[in-house]
Amino acid sequence: MNLFRSEEHTARWLEENGYEPGATMPLRQLCALAVAWWGDRLDPDWRPHTREQNQALLESVGLTGPFWQLP
Amino acid sequence: MDERDIELRNRIYTRFVELGEVPAGDEPGLQRLHDAHALVLDDSGIRMLNPFSVVPTPYVVEAGGRSWFGNCVWDAFGIPAALGVDGHVSATCLDCGETLEADVIDGRPEPDDLVAHFLLPARSWWDDIVFT
Repeated sequence: MNLFRSEEHTARWLEENGYEPGATMPLRQLCALAVAWWGDRLDPDWRPHTREQNQALLESVGLTGPFWQLP
Repeated sequence: MDERDIELRNRIYTRFVELGEVPAGDEPGLQRLHDAHALVLDDSGIRMLNPFSVVPTPYVVEAGGRSWFGNCVWDAFGIPAALGVDGHVSATCLDCGETLEADVIDGRPEPDDLVAHFLLPARSWWDDIVFT
Protein backbone atom coordinates (compact mmCIF):
# COMPACT_ATOMS: atom_id res chain seq x y z
CA MET A 1 0.00 0.00 0.00
CA ASN A 2 1.67 3.17 -1.21
CA LEU A 3 1.14 6.91 -1.17
CA PHE A 4 1.11 8.96 -4.36
CA ARG A 5 0.83 12.62 -5.30
CA SER A 6 -2.29 11.95 -7.39
CA GLU A 7 -4.15 9.33 -9.42
CA GLU A 8 -2.13 10.42 -12.46
CA HIS A 9 1.12 9.64 -10.64
CA THR A 10 -0.30 6.29 -9.51
CA ALA A 11 -1.29 5.31 -13.05
CA ARG A 12 2.10 6.26 -14.45
CA TRP A 13 3.97 4.25 -11.78
CA LEU A 14 1.78 1.21 -12.39
CA GLU A 15 2.31 1.34 -16.13
CA GLU A 16 6.07 1.90 -15.92
CA ASN A 17 6.45 -1.03 -13.54
CA GLY A 18 4.12 -3.39 -15.36
CA TYR A 19 1.57 -3.73 -12.56
CA GLU A 20 -2.14 -4.15 -13.03
CA PRO A 21 -4.05 -1.41 -11.22
CA GLY A 22 -5.41 -2.38 -7.82
CA ALA A 23 -7.54 0.10 -5.90
CA THR A 24 -6.93 3.81 -5.38
CA MET A 25 -8.60 5.81 -2.63
CA PRO A 26 -8.43 9.38 -1.37
CA LEU A 27 -6.29 9.94 1.70
CA ARG A 28 -9.35 10.83 3.76
CA GLN A 29 -10.79 7.35 3.19
CA LEU A 30 -7.42 5.73 3.91
CA CYS A 31 -7.25 7.59 7.22
CA ALA A 32 -10.75 6.46 8.12
CA LEU A 33 -9.69 2.89 7.38
CA ALA A 34 -6.54 3.29 9.48
CA VAL A 35 -8.54 4.54 12.47
CA ALA A 36 -11.06 1.72 12.17
CA TRP A 37 -8.47 -1.03 11.59
CA TRP A 38 -5.63 -0.02 13.91
CA GLY A 39 -7.33 2.09 16.57
CA ASP A 40 -7.51 -0.72 19.14
CA ARG A 41 -4.03 -2.21 18.73
CA LEU A 42 -2.68 -0.82 21.99
CA ASP A 43 -5.82 -1.32 24.04
CA PRO A 44 -5.08 -3.34 27.22
CA ASP A 45 -8.04 -5.61 26.45
CA TRP A 46 -7.13 -6.08 22.77
CA ARG A 47 -8.35 -9.28 21.17
CA PRO A 48 -7.68 -10.57 17.64
CA HIS A 49 -10.25 -9.45 15.10
CA THR A 50 -12.26 -12.14 13.43
CA ARG A 51 -12.47 -12.21 9.65
CA GLU A 52 -16.06 -11.03 9.95
CA GLN A 53 -15.03 -8.09 12.14
CA ASN A 54 -12.34 -7.07 9.67
CA GLN A 55 -14.71 -7.38 6.73
CA ALA A 56 -17.19 -5.16 8.57
CA LEU A 57 -14.44 -2.59 9.18
CA LEU A 58 -13.68 -2.44 5.46
CA GLU A 59 -17.36 -2.07 4.66
CA SER A 60 -17.75 0.65 7.30
CA VAL A 61 -15.47 2.94 5.29
CA GLY A 62 -17.06 2.08 1.96
CA LEU A 63 -14.69 -0.66 0.79
CA THR A 64 -16.95 -3.29 -0.72
CA GLY A 65 -16.86 -5.61 -3.71
CA PRO A 66 -14.61 -8.51 -4.75
CA PHE A 67 -11.31 -6.58 -4.36
CA TRP A 68 -12.01 -6.09 -0.65
CA GLN A 69 -13.17 -9.62 0.17
CA LEU A 70 -10.92 -11.12 2.84
CA PRO A 71 -9.99 -14.82 2.55
CA MET B 1 -4.30 -17.52 19.70
CA ASP B 2 -4.91 -18.50 23.30
CA GLU B 3 -4.77 -16.22 26.35
CA ARG B 4 -1.06 -16.92 26.81
CA ASP B 5 -0.37 -15.80 23.22
CA ILE B 6 -2.43 -12.62 23.68
CA GLU B 7 -0.60 -11.79 26.90
CA LEU B 8 2.76 -12.23 25.16
CA ARG B 9 1.60 -10.16 22.21
CA ASN B 10 0.36 -7.35 24.45
CA ARG B 11 3.59 -7.38 26.46
CA ILE B 12 5.69 -7.11 23.28
CA TYR B 13 3.60 -4.22 21.92
CA THR B 14 3.72 -2.34 25.22
CA ARG B 15 7.48 -2.72 25.53
CA PHE B 16 8.02 -1.58 21.95
CA VAL B 17 5.86 1.52 22.36
CA GLU B 18 7.35 2.44 25.74
CA LEU B 19 11.00 1.60 25.12
CA GLY B 20 11.43 0.86 21.42
CA GLU B 21 12.65 -2.63 22.25
CA VAL B 22 11.61 -6.01 20.90
CA PRO B 23 12.58 -9.46 22.15
CA ALA B 24 15.00 -11.65 20.23
CA GLY B 25 13.45 -13.66 17.43
CA ASP B 26 13.93 -16.96 19.22
CA GLU B 27 11.72 -16.07 22.19
CA PRO B 28 9.22 -18.88 22.73
CA GLY B 29 5.77 -18.17 21.33
CA LEU B 30 6.76 -15.72 18.60
CA GLN B 31 6.20 -18.18 15.79
CA ARG B 32 2.62 -18.76 16.98
CA LEU B 33 2.01 -15.00 16.92
CA HIS B 34 3.50 -14.80 13.43
CA ASP B 35 1.28 -17.66 12.24
CA ALA B 36 -1.75 -15.85 13.72
CA HIS B 37 -0.76 -12.60 11.90
CA ALA B 38 -0.34 -10.85 15.27
CA LEU B 39 3.20 -9.82 14.29
CA VAL B 40 5.63 -10.53 11.45
CA LEU B 41 8.94 -12.32 11.81
CA ASP B 42 11.74 -12.48 9.29
CA ASP B 43 15.25 -13.94 9.40
CA SER B 44 16.41 -11.11 11.68
CA GLY B 45 13.60 -11.41 14.22
CA ILE B 46 10.50 -9.28 14.67
CA ARG B 47 10.02 -7.07 11.61
CA MET B 48 6.49 -5.77 12.04
CA LEU B 49 4.27 -5.04 15.00
CA ASN B 50 1.54 -3.71 12.76
CA PRO B 51 0.98 -0.88 12.29
CA PHE B 52 4.52 -0.26 13.55
CA SER B 53 7.60 -1.31 11.63
CA VAL B 54 10.55 -2.39 13.77
CA VAL B 55 12.94 -1.63 10.89
CA PRO B 56 13.33 1.71 9.05
CA THR B 57 11.01 2.28 6.09
CA PRO B 58 10.17 5.24 3.80
CA TYR B 59 7.03 5.88 5.88
CA VAL B 60 8.10 8.14 8.75
CA VAL B 61 5.59 9.12 11.39
CA GLU B 62 5.88 11.74 14.11
CA ALA B 63 3.39 11.05 16.86
CA GLY B 64 3.29 11.21 20.62
CA GLY B 65 6.62 13.04 20.75
CA ARG B 66 8.48 10.25 18.97
CA SER B 67 9.42 9.11 15.49
CA TRP B 68 8.10 5.80 14.16
CA PHE B 69 8.16 3.85 10.95
CA GLY B 70 5.06 2.47 9.25
CA ASN B 71 5.14 -0.66 7.09
CA CYS B 72 3.08 1.04 4.37
CA VAL B 73 0.82 4.04 3.95
CA TRP B 74 -2.08 2.27 5.68
CA ASP B 75 0.06 1.41 8.67
CA ALA B 76 1.68 4.86 8.74
CA PHE B 77 -1.68 6.53 9.23
CA GLY B 78 -2.58 3.77 11.67
CA ILE B 79 0.18 4.74 14.09
CA PRO B 80 -1.45 7.98 15.33
CA ALA B 81 -4.72 6.02 15.46
CA ALA B 82 -3.18 3.27 17.60
CA LEU B 83 -1.50 5.80 19.88
CA GLY B 84 -4.66 7.89 20.10
CA VAL B 85 -2.87 11.10 19.18
CA ASP B 86 -2.47 13.47 16.26
CA GLY B 87 0.55 12.96 14.05
CA HIS B 88 2.51 13.77 10.93
CA VAL B 89 3.31 11.34 8.12
CA SER B 90 5.99 11.77 5.49
CA ALA B 91 6.64 9.49 2.56
CA THR B 92 7.89 9.60 -1.01
CA CYS B 93 5.75 9.45 -4.13
CA LEU B 94 7.01 6.33 -5.92
CA ASP B 95 6.34 7.98 -9.28
CA CYS B 96 7.99 11.39 -9.02
CA GLY B 97 10.11 11.08 -5.88
CA GLU B 98 8.50 14.09 -4.28
CA THR B 99 8.32 14.07 -0.50
CA LEU B 100 4.68 13.86 0.52
CA GLU B 101 3.60 15.09 3.93
CA ALA B 102 0.32 15.16 5.78
CA ASP B 103 -0.78 15.97 9.29
CA VAL B 104 -3.32 13.74 10.99
CA ILE B 105 -5.69 15.75 13.16
CA ASP B 106 -8.54 13.95 14.92
CA GLY B 107 -8.12 11.07 12.49
CA ARG B 108 -8.36 13.23 9.39
CA PRO B 109 -5.53 14.14 7.00
CA GLU B 110 -4.49 17.67 6.18
CA PRO B 111 -3.98 18.23 3.31
CA ASP B 112 -6.21 15.49 1.92
CA ASP B 113 -5.41 15.72 -1.78
CA LEU B 114 -3.02 12.74 -1.82
CA VAL B 115 -4.08 9.21 -2.79
CA ALA B 116 -3.31 5.72 -1.53
CA HIS B 117 -3.04 2.73 -3.81
CA PHE B 118 -3.58 -0.91 -2.86
CA LEU B 119 -1.83 -3.10 -5.41
CA LEU B 120 -3.17 -6.43 -4.15
CA PRO B 121 -6.73 -7.51 -3.35
CA ALA B 122 -7.58 -8.27 0.26
CA ARG B 123 -7.54 -12.04 -0.31
CA SER B 124 -3.80 -11.84 -1.15
CA TRP B 125 -2.50 -9.45 1.55
CA TRP B 126 -0.96 -12.18 3.69
CA ASP B 127 0.48 -14.22 0.81
CA ASP B 128 3.61 -12.06 1.08
CA ILE B 129 3.01 -9.41 3.73
CA VAL B 130 6.36 -7.68 3.22
CA PHE B 131 5.57 -7.11 -0.49
CA THR B 132 2.00 -6.13 0.37
